[in-house]
Amino acid sequence: MLIRFWGTRGSLPVAATASIVQEKVAGALLAASGRSFADLDEARAFTRNELDFATGGTFGGATTCVEIAAGDPDAGDPYILCDMGSGLRSFGLDAMRRCAAGHARVYHFFMSHLHWDHIMGFPFFVPAFDPNAHIVIHSGHEDAETALRRQQEEISFPVAFDWLRAKIEFRTLKPGEVYQIGAVQVEVMEQHHSHSSFGYRFTDADGKIAVFSTDSEHKMEKMHGEADVEAFFGNADLVICDTMYSLADSVSMKEDWGHSSNVVAIDLCHGARAKRLALFHHEPVYSDADIARMHAESIRYEELTREHAPLEVLCAYDGLEVVL
Amino acid sequence: MRKAEDMQWSSTERQGCVVASPDGRVDEATAQAFADHLASSVTLAAESPGRKLVVDFAGLDYMSSRGLRALTLAKRQADTAGVTMALARPNAVMREILAISRYDKLFPVSDTIEGAL
Repeated sequence: MLIRFWGTRGSLPVAATASIVQEKVAGALLAASGRSFADLDEARAFTRNELDFATGGTFGGATTCVEIAAGDPDAGDPYILCDMGSGLRSFGLDAMRRCAAGHARVYHFFMSHLHWDHIMGFPFFVPAFDPNAHIVIHSGHEDAETALRRQQEEISFPVAFDWLRAKIEFRTLKPGEVYQIGAVQVEVMEQHHSHSSFGYRFTDADGKIAVFSTDSEHKMEKMHGEADVEAFFGNADLVICDTMYSLADSVSMKEDWGHSSNVVAIDLCHGARAKRLALFHHEPVYSDADIARMHAESIRYEELTREHAPLEVLCAYDGLEVVL
Repeated sequence: MRKAEDMQWSSTERQGCVVASPDGRVDEATAQAFADHLASSVTLAAESPGRKLVVDFAGLDYMSSRGLRALTLAKRQADTAGVTMALARPNAVMREILAISRYDKLFPVSDTIEGAL
């Protein structure tokens, strides 16, 4: 199983401004003081290998879209995707390339929920215009079709949903059921969020497990219910978890905003004996340096509170690939 | 596996305020006992002249998010009861956990009991 992160930002897409880029270039120049590079390749190697990620890279600004690559594309296994945030546009372009090379034109989406940042990529999803494509949209919500049609009404977008050429189906999934879809078994968990959200647990034929759990608030008053969450995360090879706020923010000013914290995510993954956690759904006001700091603090908290095998704490960014 | 009874707790009164002293680790096994003791201490502090609860962290090795969230629930109870809360004497690990969780922004944290009173 391979996990590709196409969009990792929460709530709103963000883009680097000129001043942000200038800060990165200035930081890189300072780090390179006294060095010279024979050519661009040497300079690129320095950027990739010697600069810290916040200076030489970026966590990115596209909203939620994650690909779960499982099975064998050469044998016709379909695409598996979580959510349709603005990161879906890049996936769609890459999928067209892969389809041209023989990948099946079948797309299974699993929707955490239908808020704008999680569906805004669909009007720009090029495969939806492919008459040979088959798109199946799985959701815990019964109103997924309403949400997708509504954002393509003329008042919001010039291309109507009915003009899309792909065959598009909607299927409602229920927590407690186990579904075989493409090359994965899928289980569903309802989560606490405005209008509800749903987490998904994917298991492939090799027994590798990835859990996608975003836009989920773990309420203080319902801590006894976290045993169910830990069971859902149980022994996962990777848990992709909403870690938008600090714990203090999530229980004070931003309580009931429907999101979780790095600290709670680590505790849940520890309880679940999960192997890896990907910090996800980054706060849009956070700079790359802020997210890198949150990642370093999360690794430290994991060390301080570890009682069993280590939990590897990754920080998701647009373009990250994780092999399970 | 530790049990809830492993959470030791003592309370004293100093300068009209309640100083509550938990002992051990606050994790999944002991978080409920910690929360229950905190709630009782807030009730006690509401009847004290200083209407203040100082939670003395000196005996705490470690606290997970469950313990931290129990502190928030206690603070809500305290706010309603007109009781102020402060944390005192965290060890180095607890000080880091309070900083990472940003709980040091929600509660005043002192190096001494006197400083918290």
